[in-house]
Formats: sequence, structure tokens, C-alpha cells
Amino acid sequence: MNERGGGLSSRVFHYLRAINAENIKEWKIELTYKPDFIRQFLEPFVYLFPYFLYGFALLGGRYSEHLRSLTGIGDMVAYTFIGYLFIGFLNTACWAMGFSLRKEQWFGTLETIFVAPVPRWVYVAGMALHSTCHQGLIMLIQAVAITTFFAIVLQTSGIFLALSAVLLMLLGLYGLGIVVAGLTIALKQWWVVSEALSTLIVVVTPIAYPLAVLPFVLRKVAMFLPTTYGIIGVRHFLLGENLAVSLPTIFLRLSLILVVWLSFGMLVFLMMDRYGRKRGSLSVY
Amino acid sequence: MNESGHIVVQGIYKIFKKGRTDEVRAVDGVDFSIKKGELFGLLGPNGAGKTTLIKCISTLLIPDDGSVTVGGYDIYKESLEVRRHIGVLTGGERSLYWKLTPIENLRYFAALYGVPRKSVKNRIEFLLELMGLTDKATVRVEKLSSGMKQKLSLARVLVHDPPILLVDEPTLGLDPYFARFIRDFVKNELNRRLGKTILLTTHYMDEADELCERIAFMNRGKIEAMDTPVRLKQSMPQKQVLEIKCQGALDKGIFDGVREAASINVSHDDGLVYVRVNTDNPEVILSNIIELVREKAKIVSVRVTVPTLEDVFVHLTGASLKDG
Repeated sequence: MNERGGGLSSRVFHYLRAINAENIKEWKIELTYKPDFIRQFLEPFVYLFPYFLYGFALLGGRYSEHLRSLTGIGDMVAYTFIGYLFIGFLNTACWAMGFSLRKEQWFGTLETIFVAPVPRWVYVAGMALHSTCHQGLIMLIQAVAITTFFAIVLQTSGIFLALSAVLLMLLGLYGLGIVVAGLTIALKQWWVVSEALSTLIVVVTPIAYPLAVLPFVLRKVAMFLPTTYGIIGVRHFLLGENLAVSLPTIFLRLSLILVVWLSFGMLVFLMMDRYGRKRGSLSVY
Repeated sequence: MNESGHIVVQGIYKIFKKGRTDEVRAVDGVDFSIKKGELFGLLGPNGAGKTTLIKCISTLLIPDDGSVTVGGYDIYKESLEVRRHIGVLTGGERSLYWKLTPIENLRYFAALYGVPRKSVKNRIEFLLELMGLTDKATVRVEKLSSGMKQKLSLARVLVHDPPILLVDEPTLGLDPYFARFIRDFVKNELNRRLGKTILLTTHYMDEADELCERIAFMNRGKIEAMDTPVRLKQSMPQKQVLEIKCQGALDKGIFDGVREAASINVSHDDGLVYVRVNTDNPEVILSNIIELVREKAKIVSVRVTVPTLEDVFVHLTGASLKDG
């Protein structure tokens, strides 16, 4: 074996390889549960349709002048579908990343992987990579199916900028995921934090309704969430939604949120890892 | 600093809080040092603190006090380097991914340990061959027997060829065939042929006696004695043991009135009860002991033998290795 861990570049390469190994491992395990794997691809459609049906019932069709006056988009189906499509990444943060280490505890493998010579956040990052690929694939299938079925025309010229906004949103959400991962390994029952955060974010993020309809306080809360800017940005680039704030402001705020959330996430994770090893709670499910 | 294959533990404490006021002193001021290439055993009953100590050494737990260096690396300041130099066998068969095959498990761990990509395939083939698992290479772990899983766990520990191994209860729950394989492998292959430094914990007296060059008796978080198995046994003031094997229900309390014995241990194994009496004069107390046993149980055999590590442990701590 090598005597020392090597220089910075070899360490970075080692960590990236470990992250990818984690991603591959997750795919392999996931594919052994075939019915569940299929369920995960069908479920987003099932969850999306009640939104549409509710919209149809209220509007008497898929178009709304009131929605157009608020957002610039009159098509309720297109508006809701884009919001719902990208909020799927919230699962990556709150559930996949947040529960990555808890799942290892359940398997009984947490201590085995924690004695490997990589920082412990690497496993959470590996799960983030896996879940992002997984969610991305679901999103792609969903996007093709819904746009075809409802004849929704997206502005393809905006795809690159839309994906840039999504990428920044995702990195911000990773910060949240790593906070939850840290809390759940050290404090066990804190998975309820994940549940609560996920619900709060879904409520204040403009998925199926614009920010304008939220109460004042919730609108302010929404300003601190990457999902708000991510989804507004994506809808602007793909459907031409009116913007209440300028594009540079959206990217600037997304970048700022990303830095703050990721830094805070790493800080909490490192503190919780240390706390868990002090308290001896790593192997306890 | 790099003293490969050397573990130095000094003044380690690990105390767990239980509720607001109670505490458990899992490791209570432990000191020892293991030479490069040595097979060192921690022998003690369940709950003695052996696993907690291994977790401290392997950076899974942060000790409350004391210092530990592994291969010359400090567990607090150089934890990644410590982990690169050790292989930890703990958690038994649950330390593997059951939904993956042996090859997939080993590939995953090879990536975590940074085994060069070019050598991964050969290394995995070599380890599977070494463990006699080549024909099970593509079978899911969940379909392997407990013994095979433990063999695979050993292969996992060796995937990065570490100079130091921490092996926690390696034969626990295994049938005699696999337990024998694991013991022979640890002693002959890992220690003698490959020269690995090994810290092994066990509560099986025979295992420690057979495998270890030196043994530390651990009880209630403390090390009670430490030496070679031979010298530990020679340290017994009484050089003979009267052993009575019997069937029935026996309580140690029935021997309370026996004055001539230094210590008496009653243990159960395979449906039989073993009464071991440490004494210099077995012939003097033989009739007295037999009479007491006969009142409660049917005697199968009686013999006079020499002290074992279990006898030494009982003599030093008053507890049995099967306690806990």
C-alpha cells in the first residue's frame, strides 16, 4: 500500500473516485429492488395529476387570465408541470442525501465505511450524485411524456440558462442535505427535521402558484430558499414567466445561498460527526 | 514520523453517559503497546470494553482522554492516515452489502481505500482465491453462508493490504469448520507469512491462547494483566486444577464453604456444566467437592489438569470470560 495519502490532486482524485463508487453501489443496490425502481418512475406522474385536475376544476380548463396577469403564463398545466418537475430535486437533498448515512446504519455498514480513509462527507456526496442522476432521469422521462401529451412548447433557446439555474439550486440544496445527514447520524430522531423542512420548502416554493399569492411572511421566507429562485428562473427561461427580480439578481442570490448553505451544511456535518463519535452513537440505529 | 505496524495506547478513557447522572466507564485508563508484526490479544467477557477500545483506535470513537498512535500516526490529528494503515474487521457479516456480489463489494471498498485502478482486478482475484470464494464471486452476499460472509469480510479488510489489522471477535457465531479456517488464516497467513501486526479481541480463551503472542486481560474497562499466555498461566499460585464435568443445574454458591480452593469457577458449555477448582492439593478436597456436586448433578468425568487462561482470568478478576 502507499505510504502516504499523496498530494492534493491525488487526494481529490481519490475522493472523486470514492464518490463515484458510492454512486455505482447505490445504482446496483437500487436495481435489485425492481418493483420499487419502477414505482419511483411512475410515482411523479401520479402525484402531478391531482394538481392538474384541481386546476381544471377551478378554471374550467387549462388556461387562466388571472394566472397570466400574475406571471405572464396563462397555461396552468405548463406552469405547474415545470414547477413540479424541478422541485423533485428536493427529494435528493432531504431524503436521499439526508438519509444516506442513516441507511448505512440500518444496513450495518456505517462503521465499516467510516474506517475507510476518506472524509465522511464523501458518502453523502456520493449519494447526492446518485440521486441527482436518478432524479434527472425521472425528470427527463416526465418532461418528454408531459410535453408530448399536453402539447407544451418549451423555449429550447433557454435550456442552457435554465440548467444553470437548476445547477445552482441543486448545489444550494446539497447544503441542506448535508445538514440533515449530519443531524440524523448523531441525533437519530432528527429525521423529522427533514420531513418538516421538506414540507415547508414545498409550501413556500412557487411550484403550482406564484409567490404573489403567499402571505407576506412566507414570501419573505421564500427569499432565502434556492428552490424559489431556481424554479422562477427555470420557468422564465423555458416558458417566459415575468420576473419580479432581475436575472442577474436571481443568479447572484442563488450563488450567495449556495455558498451560505453549503458552508453551513459542512459545518453542521463536521460538528455532528464529531458529536456522534464522542457520544458513541454511530452504530446505533 | 512513520513507525509502520506499531500501536501505542496510553492512558485511554472512554466514558459513556447514561441518563443525567449515571455513566459507564467502558475504557478506564488503558495502556499497552504492540510491536510490529505482533499478534496481540485482548481477552475479556462481553462488555469488558474491548470493542470500544478498537473503535477508539480505529477513529470511530473519540476517547475522552489519553493518546493513541497507529503506525506512528496520531488518531486525533492524522485520522485519515491512521485509517489508510489499518484494516478493521468488526460487525461480522453485517459489514458487507448483501445485495451486492463479493466482486462488487470488493470493488467498492477498493475505490474507498484508493487501491490503484490497474491493480484492483488482480487484487480482488487474489483475495477471492485466497479465501476460496472464487466460485462465489458473482453470487449475491445474501446467498452466502455466515462462514463465507466472514471470509469475504476478511478479504474486504485486506483489499488495500494494510500493515495493521484490528480484528474484533472474528469467529463469533461461526461453526467449528469456519472458525478453524479463520483462526488458521489469521495466525499462519496474516501474521506469520504476511507479517501483519494484529490486535485481536475475543472472549474465547482457546482462541486467544492458540493465536496470540501476548494477551491483555480486560475486564470492566481496565487491563488486569498482560503477558504471554505461558507466563500468564505460570503466574497462577496454584499449579493444578480439579475439573469436574457434569450434567444438571449447579450454582457456584454451593461451594462457598470450601476453604482449600483458591478459586472455583462454574461454566456451561454444550449442555454440560464444568466445575474448575484451582488448588495445590486436589486430592485433599476431591471428596468434598464431589460430594457437593453429586447433590445437584450427575458427574460425567473428573480429572486433574493444569490452569488455563480462563482460570487465570477468574483468579485475577473473580469474573468468568463467559460473563457479560
